[in-house]
Amino acid sequence: MTKLAAILAVPIALLATVFSLGVMVVDVREGGPDGHHFVVPVPLVVAQAALAVVPAQRLPLDDHEALEHLPLAREVLRALAEGPDGELVRVEERDEHVLVVKEGGMLRVRVHKRDKEDVSVNLPLHVALSALPDAQGRISTLRLASALGGLRFTDLVDVRDGEERVRVWVW
Amino acid sequence: MKKSVLLVGGLAAMALLPASAAVAQTSTPWLHVRIEEPKKESRVRVNLPLSVVEAVLKASPEIIERHGKIHLGHDHGLKLADIRKIWKELSATGDADLVSVEEKDEHVKVARKGDLVQVFVDKGGKEEVRVEVPVSLVDALLSGEGESANIQAAVAELQKRRGDIVSVREEDSTVRVWIDDQNAQK
Repeated sequence: MTKLAAILAVPIALLATVFSLGVMVVDVREGGPDGHHFVVPVPLVVAQAALAVVPAQRLPLDDHEALEHLPLAREVLRALAEGPDGELVRVEERDEHVLVVKEGGMLRVRVHKRDKEDVSVNLPLHVALSALPDAQGRISTLRLASALGGLRFTDLVDVRDGEERVRVWVW
Repeated sequence: MKKSVLLVGGLAAMALLPASAAVAQTSTPWLHVRIEEPKKESRVRVNLPLSVVEAVLKASPEIIERHGKIHLGHDHGLKLADIRKIWKELSATGDADLVSVEEKDEHVKVARKGDLVQVFVDKGGKEEVRVEVPVSLVDALLSGEGESANIQAAVAELQKRRGDIVSVREEDSTVRVWIDDQNAQK
């Protein structure tokens, strides 16, 4: 009995450690009677470790104009992160509602298309800043890995389209 | 004794910190834009802290150069340096009607009244445009050198401004731009 407990203690402790460090869950539910349902849990510590060893990725941004606007995007994100909370955009049309709100360090986007789809995206601004390429179009995977570490208990993406649903959240 | 004074002082500072942060948050000026098209059942509201507007303008000097300088010259055949000279002359005159155009279907009036430059355009009741620009804002905008508009100084002036800046009323749509301390539109 003691042996069994000792044998089980190691994987349980490992699992507990992994879960305590956070798990990103990707949940895809297809529509229809034969629709599949995938749930992929990715321990953040694994994602971080993988990103940390991957060299900086260069985006295929050959367009000089696109690269030119990256500093602007960075400054806007930084100013938003440091700025006050509030409703930034509200679009109300006959069949579509869009809402963008800044709340804490999070940019929350809601899109509702009548009878079609609901999209909810919560973008942590510090992650967005880390994911932004530098002036040469390179994404620092190390910085991104470090930013991911701060993500806990966050619903990142939730898209519902009829019977189909995609959810990404961090637990 | 010194220790206890430091301790009390530190605690007081810690207690005051959140309060001062809250005050700073409520007094942040927000630029609001509201576009309504009742026939299309469309309403668009944009609210931006001026700090974000400022960041955009600071981070994109080329865009400002492109839009603030070249467009003025090309569209109106008037260089910014010329506008600066004219404005300097007008500033000395005080309250006055600067431009008045009266046509069959269109009335345009540009006037300086107190601290404001007012622009009214009335197209036979079909379209009404009303723009109110503080004199200090124009001063700030034209405080740059040569053909460069001083956008940063203009934004700094906008930080002090509260109230309507632009309102446009057309047959099918209305546009309103204003600044206040609210982080949402009522």
